[in-house]
Amino acid sequence: MNLKTAAKVTAVAGASLLFLAACGSKSNSATSSKQTATITEKSELPTMDLSKSTDVTSSNMLNNTNEGLYRLGKDSKVTPGIAKSTTVSKDGKTYTFTLRKNAKWSNGDKVTAKDFVYGWQRTVNPKTASQYAYLYSGIKNADEISSGKKAVSSLGVKADGDYKLTVSLDKPIPYFKKLMGFVNFFPQNEKAVKKYGSKYGTTSSDMVYNGPYTMTGWKGTNLTWSLKKNKDYWDAKNVKMSSIKFQVVKDASTGLNLFNSNKVDDTILSGTQVKSYKTNKNFKLRKTASTFYVEFNQKDSNSDLAKAFQNKKIRQALSMAISRKQFVNDVLADGSTEAKGYVSSDLAKSPTNNKDFADDAYVASGVEYNMTEAKKLLKEGLKETGQSSLKINLLSDDTDGAKKSTEYVQGQWQKLSSKVKVSNQNVPFKTRLQRSQNGNFDTVISAWNADFTDPISFLSLFTSDNSYNNGKYNSSTYDTAIKNATGKDANNETARWNDMVTAEKTLMTDQGVAPIYQQAEAHLTRTSLKGIIYNTAGSQYNYKYMYVK
Amino acid sequence: MRKYLLKRIFYLFLTLFIVATVTFFLMKLMPGTPLQNEAKLTASEKASILAQYGLDKPVWLQYLIYIGGIFKGSLGLSFQFSDQAVSYLIGSRMGPSMQLGGQAMVVGVIFGIILGAIGAIRKDTWADRLATIVSILGIAVPSFVLAILLQYYLGLKLGWFPVAGWEGFAYTILPTLALAASPLAETARFIRTDMVDVLSSDYIELAKAKGLSKFGIVYHHALRNSLIPMVTLIGPLAAALMTGSMVVENIFSVPGIGEQFVKSILVNDYPTIMGVTIFYSALLCLLLLLTDIVYGIIDPRIRLSGNGD
Repeated sequence: MNLKTAAKVTAVAGASLLFLAACGSKSNSATSSKQTATITEKSELPTMDLSKSTDVTSSNMLNNTNEGLYRLGKDSKVTPGIAKSTTVSKDGKTYTFTLRKNAKWSNGDKVTAKDFVYGWQRTVNPKTASQYAYLYSGIKNADEISSGKKAVSSLGVKADGDYKLTVSLDKPIPYFKKLMGFVNFFPQNEKAVKKYGSKYGTTSSDMVYNGPYTMTGWKGTNLTWSLKKNKDYWDAKNVKMSSIKFQVVKDASTGLNLFNSNKVDDTILSGTQVKSYKTNKNFKLRKTASTFYVEFNQKDSNSDLAKAFQNKKIRQALSMAISRKQFVNDVLADGSTEAKGYVSSDLAKSPTNNKDFADDAYVASGVEYNMTEAKKLLKEGLKETGQSSLKINLLSDDTDGAKKSTEYVQGQWQKLSSKVKVSNQNVPFKTRLQRSQNGNFDTVISAWNADFTDPISFLSLFTSDNSYNNGKYNSSTYDTAIKNATGKDANNETARWNDMVTAEKTLMTDQGVAPIYQQAEAHLTRTSLKGIIYNTAGSQYNYKYMYVK
Repeated sequence: MRKYLLKRIFYLFLTLFIVATVTFFLMKLMPGTPLQNEAKLTASEKASILAQYGLDKPVWLQYLIYIGGIFKGSLGLSFQFSDQAVSYLIGSRMGPSMQLGGQAMVVGVIFGIILGAIGAIRKDTWADRLATIVSILGIAVPSFVLAILLQYYLGLKLGWFPVAGWEGFAYTILPTLALAASPLAETARFIRTDMVDVLSSDYIELAKAKGLSKFGIVYHHALRNSLIPMVTLIGPLAAALMTGSMVVENIFSVPGIGEQFVKSILVNDYPTIMGVTIFYSALLCLLLLLTDIVYGIIDPRIRLSGNGD
């Protein structure tokens, strides 16, 4: 082969590539005048089985292709779903739902009360191995069924004819209606579950739908799929989108390139991109009900450290040394916001004055930065415990965000005094979780995500007997407040709210934990996309009322 | 030859068995369980879920059940993709990875041979220096950096290629180019070095003296002789390309297996970890076997004996 031959081969190959590229780049822009849009998802869709969904992507897809008794609207307000009307008994333990008669499954069947009974029983049945069955706790016999002690048929849910559903609870659940907007409580079509067998919910065609959209193109493991308007949906007239395409994009720069080339209409930004796009007209910050906080091990195997962490002043000093503002703005810089407290912001609003829970229960000292005061508190604390120095191990995950967190906190704590030495341990998530639960840590940066839009989803964690209270924080005031909120005040909205406010204020005043930041997702969402309903917890995205303007 | 092949196939299965055994027990040393939201489950719920997956049994029994399953052709069900068979997951995800790896291999090797040959023939000229620079860049620039540059300039700025996705052949071009850089550079370097040696050998001088054309000498004598050692390079290179393109797959949103494998380790998806490891191992063993067979076919001097020597 001489040079000329080589050059010819190269030229032909190059030309072929260009030709093929030209053929492939004719795909339509996402921003057409039609009611269609393309949205990026950050991970694959693991399942469409309503009993087995545990992740955000599945939950979002199920929430838009299926519907339960209610649908979560803006600010987590319950809006009409399959339930037409609801009556609640005086003791708050019996709910009777009257279902609408015009709701249909995509296989032509009517949506009936039996579908709820079947779906719920299937989820709590231990044989189904649902990882969200614990949400049913409080519904009559659910706990016993989950642990295999009672028959599935004893679950407190009954169908009285096709359109009346009665639910019996062991105790009042104040957020019960909100739970009904959670996908694991949606109805399931027995005929379809049995027809598809083990394939149920594993592809878009092995599934039936009763929500605003139906799904196409999902083969179980692929990275694209679409939601199409469901013409049989009972409220189809209010659904404007004809199609929403989803494309899994795991690399933020790819998402941005796709957005800038008009191939997608919504994408998630990474930390470095947030800085450049903060002022962009398409920039949207979506908070999640997820708080990152430091836990102090008050039962540390190192008795000196246990003694130190039992001291309120030392805990406060360590918390006050952290500048949340500096951390989220300059270090993390991914759109996350400073924590106002342990319970995340934009989760729930007061029944009396509509104030956000995080504002209502705000305790400035719990999250403020004051290095001078922190130094003073540390000195006093150490004097009280009779110690001269602290050697702390700070545990967290090995993700980039967690490494940034531990490095920052380490630096700040060491600024307190030359007598404070901090070493970091960044381990895989599963290891961190196991060590936290075994109490094998001095301090740990943990995170908690609310399952549903109620402060109790956070607060129930730090009662003294809770197995996930890793630092063994102990307060009788806190325990009583939570007991009241879930017991005697469960039916009294205002009293219950006040109980939860008391609990949060107690936790923050005691500095039982040191909240650092609330996670948020920074998005570029084309301004032409309107009507997306986003909630910080539960089924986060509701596309029912979305449209392109 | 048959005896040799049978022996090699026996060793292939033995290797896979050892890989499966070692991986299984190493995997069991990983902390935690595959439960997705472990911290929120009660003890009884945890127990019943673990029982569902057979994880409540002693490790040795789990091992026997797993190995038994492999002999029956089952790799179990994935924990991440609920009720999805691992074999289906591998089948659907391996296709794009293999396609990209294959294309990158073909593009890389063909252009690498051309580049290497030009470098050798035009030794110490500007063409040689250019070929060397291209080779050095191909090795020095990581494929993911090249991927990002290609995506930004050829995809976004010039709009010649799709930015990302997996909807047709056009979508494979940029990831193929990104992945091809390394084999191209490796091949070019290898071929150049080898051909320079060959071109200065006595039999080439003899061929020249016989009056053979330059093309004939390069094509029939120099290139062919240089390709023989090249074959040994191709096997592992192909395996690495087909299995190690995780970052490039992520950048171009290719539904490949690489990233899924890493994720399965992070979430303790035991059946997927095992399934993909066994598949990767089998692929590598097969490619090495094929390399040996092709080696014998290309070079008539090499004959495979029953003793394997």
